Amino acid sequence: MKLSYLYEIVRFVLLILLQVLLLNRISLFGLATPVLYGYFLLKLPMGRNPFFVIISAFLMGLIIDIFLNTPGMNAAAITIVAALRKPVMDLFFEKEEYDEFVPGIYTATGPFVRFTIFMVLLHLTLLFFIESFTLFNLTSTLLRMITSSVITILLIVTLDSLFYKRRQSEQL
Amino acid sequence: MRNLFNFIIRYSHWLVAIMLIAFSFYLVFTHNSYQRSVYLTSANKVTGQFYTISNNLTSFFLLKQNNQQLLERNAVLEKDLYSLRAHLDSLATADTTEVNAFVRDTVESPQFDFIPAEVVNLSFSGVNNFITINKGSARGIKPDMGVISQRGVVGVVSQVSQNFSLVIPVINPKFRLSGKLKNSENYGSIAWDGKNIRQAQLLDLPRHEVFQHGDTVLTSFSRIFPRNLIIGFVSDRGESKDDNFNTFNIDLATDFYTLQDVLVIDDRFYEEQKALEALLQ
Repeated sequence: MKLSYLYEIVRFVLLILLQVLLLNRISLFGLATPVLYGYFLLKLPMGRNPFFVIISAFLMGLIIDIFLNTPGMNAAAITIVAALRKPVMDLFFEKEEYDEFVPGIYTATGPFVRFTIFMVLLHLTLLFFIESFTLFNLTSTLLRMITSSVITILLIVTLDSLFYKRRQSEQL
Repeated sequence: MRNLFNFIIRYSHWLVAIMLIAFSFYLVFTHNSYQRSVYLTSANKVTGQFYTISNNLTSFFLLKQNNQQLLERNAVLEKDLYSLRAHLDSLATADTTEVNAFVRDTVESPQFDFIPAEVVNLSFSGVNNFITINKGSARGIKPDMGVISQRGVVGVVSQVSQNFSLVIPVINPKFRLSGKLKNSENYGSIAWDGKNIRQAQLLDLPRHEVFQHGDTVLTSFSRIFPRNLIIGFVSDRGESKDDNFNTFNIDLATDFYTLQDVLVIDDRFYEEQKALEALLQ
């Protein structure tokens, strides 16, 4: 229990640093920028206190905003995603799952991938439209949004299969 | 009453979420100049605190990168200096008495030659600034040649007498040059708004262009300057006339207050290119 909190804090810090120092300098084909920090929300246990989820997401967004000189944008997008996390989870996962259930590619492959795709699309849609705010340059915004989403989803699935494989096999 | 409390307790995380989201949007609309121009009513003074905090943080993280850039620049200058010295030495020791008509010139002449000159007069009294340098047509200087300092772009030669030339510097409203950020291919134009001798503006850069405080601004294609000369460094985002484009304030690399030595760029192919392009007109 305590250990899982420690993992979460480490993940929180690492994801922020990764996003700010590395991923935001990437612009694949001049379009796609991975937005990985939402992965933090995906890996929280299912029954986690909604206050904790929302406030930690807001703090994360705010810290990233401060680094990237975009006050409010990331914070708004990720807070909305965090608020909608529980209802979305109920859509994709069995309601009977216990509270400490952590979504992962080895624990529930199909639902986890679908859940990831939904959450990333939601997050990036919000983020890019808050960023451009008016729809007058719709094609370019959509293109950036879709390419960024694809690369983010691929990155999350890859990371999840890499980092959670060992622990999973130990449990088995 | 109890029902009300139950309701509040049950849905309080939604209330917190809504408050935090509202606060985020407040930040979005009050801070970002682009959104502010869309929502004029929520216009407010920029909350500069965030910039200060983030600059303190990010500048710390960028130290290493900046250091690397400085080292690279140093290496390039070192190389240039070496080749210029070699060039000067060869000029000084060339034996002009010997004639060997059958030896073919195997060294291809470079496109650009640099003519060193000294600044003899600078005018910063009004808006129409100019610089006078101590080399003229006698040394091969012609109008429309580019002028650079060791640090970056200075201006363009406008008029030439036998021993002097008049240079229109970057800090003159008539000056136009295409420039771009170092990490990107999109170009905008450099102009000066007449306010600050240390700062010029990079106009008409597409809005999606990512920038960071201190990004290098380089020359893009130009008839006058070679590519990738340093013009300045991005300072902050300025006011833009059009929502599609960004305007950046850039700190000029050249310090006009202490400008002493300049190099005039002689583009060997300038006349050829100009004549060819004139065929179309």
